[in-house]
Amino acid sequence: MRLPLQVYFFAGGLRAMVHFLLQSENPHIFAPVRAIVDTGSPITILGLPDLKKMRVSQLKLKDLESRKETISYGGGQVRAKILRDNKIKIGEFECSVPIQIPVEEIKDCSQPTILGVDFLIENKLSLFFDPTKKEAYFEQS
Amino acid sequence: MENQELQLLKNFESDSKWFHENMDMLREKNFTGKFVAIKESKPIAANEDLDVVINNISKKGENPSLVFIEFVHPKGFTLLL
Repeated sequence: MRLPLQVYFFAGGLRAMVHFLLQSENPHIFAPVRAIVDTGSPITILGLPDLKKMRVSQLKLKDLESRKETISYGGGQVRAKILRDNKIKIGEFECSVPIQIPVEEIKDCSQPTILGVDFLIENKLSLFFDPTKKEAYFEQS
Repeated sequence: MENQELQLLKNFESDSKWFHENMDMLREKNFTGKFVAIKESKPIAANEDLDVVINNISKKGENPSLVFIEFVHPKGFTLLL
């Protein structure tokens, strides 16, 4: 099964992007998200702009598991919480992955949401990306 | 519900597509360095401060969670993830 992705020019180059619906009960989240597929990132992390527009307060994150290690993010080191119970819908394909949520605000941070290698492993997906043809897709193995 | 979700995602994708395909036009119209909210292929709010954009969207009766919002980087800027 193939899941088509979008290839757009963004912030200096062509990127493979995926649009999905993110759902969670605690904290309550129901939001479409555009994420950049980044095979250079081992983890999936919610961008601060996406977190802000979902209006998830730091208070609502308090019950989530804390990540032990800091993350290098947006030019700084941040601590993060882990949202494990979530549902990700890419079209009709449903899946999940632990999502790191930064709990420290970085000023002027426009860092997007990143879908990392953990997402591919967790959902047994491989990535095809041909920037020349502007074609990209996930394929389930 | 399932169809509504799919439609919502489709609309969001469509606004994302419009944003990425009209980046140069947005820069020409002085949106560089601002967060821009796109709804039905139109900018509906923009500001350097994301909180202001979110508040403006809410005042228009929209749910910010469902609206495509992205930062317009200057031409030539490269973001390393």
